[in-house]
Amino acid sequence: MSSSEPLIRWSWIGRNWPMIWDLLVDNAIMALLPALFGLILALPIGLACARWRFLYQPTFGVMNVVYSLPSLAVFIVLIPITGLAERATVIIPLTFYALAVLIPAVVDGLTSVPDHVRQAADAMGFRPLRRLIQVELPIAVPVVLAGLRVATVSSISLVSVGALIGRGGLGGLFITGWQLRFPTPIIVGIVLVVLLAVVADGLLVLAQRLLTPWARARSAG
Amino acid sequence: MITFEAVTKRYPGGTVAVDRLSLEVPTGEITVFVGPSGCGKTTSLRMINRMIDPTEGRVLIDGRDVREIDPPTLRRGIGYVIQHGGLFPHRRIVDNIATVPYLLGWDKKKARGRARELMERVGLDGELADRYPFQLSGGQQQRVGVARALAADPPVLLMDEPFSAVDPVVRASLQDELLRLQAELRKTIVFVTHDIDEAIKLGDRVAVLRVGGHLAQHATPPELLAAPADDFVRAFLGRDRGIRLLSFLPARDLLLRRDLIVPEGGRAPEGADWVVVVDEERRPIGWRAAWNGHLTGFGTYRPEHDSLRAALDAALLSPCGAAIAVDDEGRAEGVVTRDVLDVALVRAAADAYSEGGHTGEEAAREAG
Repeated sequence: MSSSEPLIRWSWIGRNWPMIWDLLVDNAIMALLPALFGLILALPIGLACARWRFLYQPTFGVMNVVYSLPSLAVFIVLIPITGLAERATVIIPLTFYALAVLIPAVVDGLTSVPDHVRQAADAMGFRPLRRLIQVELPIAVPVVLAGLRVATVSSISLVSVGALIGRGGLGGLFITGWQLRFPTPIIVGIVLVVLLAVVADGLLVLAQRLLTPWARARSAG
Repeated sequence: MITFEAVTKRYPGGTVAVDRLSLEVPTGEITVFVGPSGCGKTTSLRMINRMIDPTEGRVLIDGRDVREIDPPTLRRGIGYVIQHGGLFPHRRIVDNIATVPYLLGWDKKKARGRARELMERVGLDGELADRYPFQLSGGQQQRVGVARALAADPPVLLMDEPFSAVDPVVRASLQDELLRLQAELRKTIVFVTHDIDEAIKLGDRVAVLRVGGHLAQHATPPELLAAPADDFVRAFLGRDRGIRLLSFLPARDLLLRRDLIVPEGGRAPEGADWVVVVDEERRPIGWRAAWNGHLTGFGTYRPEHDSLRAALDAALLSPCGAAIAVDDEGRAEGVVTRDVLDVALVRAAADAYSEGGHTGEEAAREAG
């Protein structure tokens, strides 16, 4: 980087805004879909683990191993199957990472239901499915949403790694900046990734407040 | 009527929680299961609504074996109040109370209307309807628990240590509230507690259970106090059984002396060492001694509402051992002298022993 180059060159941002916007949208899609898929898959798996406790340790172990796999290695393994620079190549591994966070969140959420509440539901005459839907799942929501916030934010930043295989959303800006010895795209990339994460997290917090007014008030009181 | 027929609950591993329990819970009365932890009282309670099924024997409600009824259906017809309230934290108070009506398929408006009606009935401010459980005090939560149990107007109510997690003052008011409600509703209530005083206060009948699930005694509270079946029950009842027995005897019939009540500066009747001095409203000011005219403290009781125990207590608070009877406005009606009180106490003791079916020998041992 030459010393005469300013840290931010605003004109570059103006000229390249359409491209930056596309990367931002791409990043958001590749980050949020895994969080969504992760949630959809984690619910039945987490329910099964909470119902049959012996499943939990093995499942948790497998998910932990998956979480430890370097993302770049998984992207590369997937390229022959899903293709280079394809969204799916990024989305699939990120879904597994989200699962690794969300399965324990669902299990913890369900175990957070106090025993006396569950017993009271039985004693009132709830059948098991109705008890699950009307009592246990709603009470698990705050814990599950806390997990979803972690999964979503980490997913947003993990997308950047995909840049190394040609599909990294805003991560592409880091590569550009590095190759051209030009800091502006790098700074734009970092700022937008952080902004995206903050906005997504904020929306989830908002959703939590709307969905679980009883939990918000509990922590305030 | 709920009938336990030789009910045994044995857990794998051989622990016996309930051992050949046979007893009848009469319709429209409060029956209290009381005993130390491990006596099987909660297990017995839960066999009524099939939260637990017996290993042997049968539990019948109005002659029908509960095992013939599918548990959720059975439970929707039996109110249940649990120790920590068991309220649903994610539902507003009104919807917590309407739980069983919702399960029974009532429409929302009718269920909520019923819930609001019950809030009033159990002494809850209607403004609490839209709050969440955590925003209520422990005592209020228990009231919600009672309202929820009553929502679908079940004939049977099971209460599992419902008041044991609140402080003594709140507990006493919840107990009074339950008795007041029961006077109106006449439910068949099975109430579990480890607190013998609570059992004696609330129960029309009390079943004392001992560790291992044996029924030690099943009797009315006065019978229990007067004639404990064995040393275990005697020890469990604790001290002052005689005094506590007096709580069940009305003070209404005590003979009052009206001539011992005088206005300020009034003369005492001939031969009276002590008189009660009253103000213009006839409210007692104090006991006046004939020899020095000094006023001292006093105790009062209300003949229409209070027990012999309250009358005796009032007597012990006065310098001459006599109690002042007052009406609801606190106006003195008369004085119960020590002689009258003595006779009443002696008769109470004699009656207790004859009702309890005690032999003279046992009575002598009691006295010693």
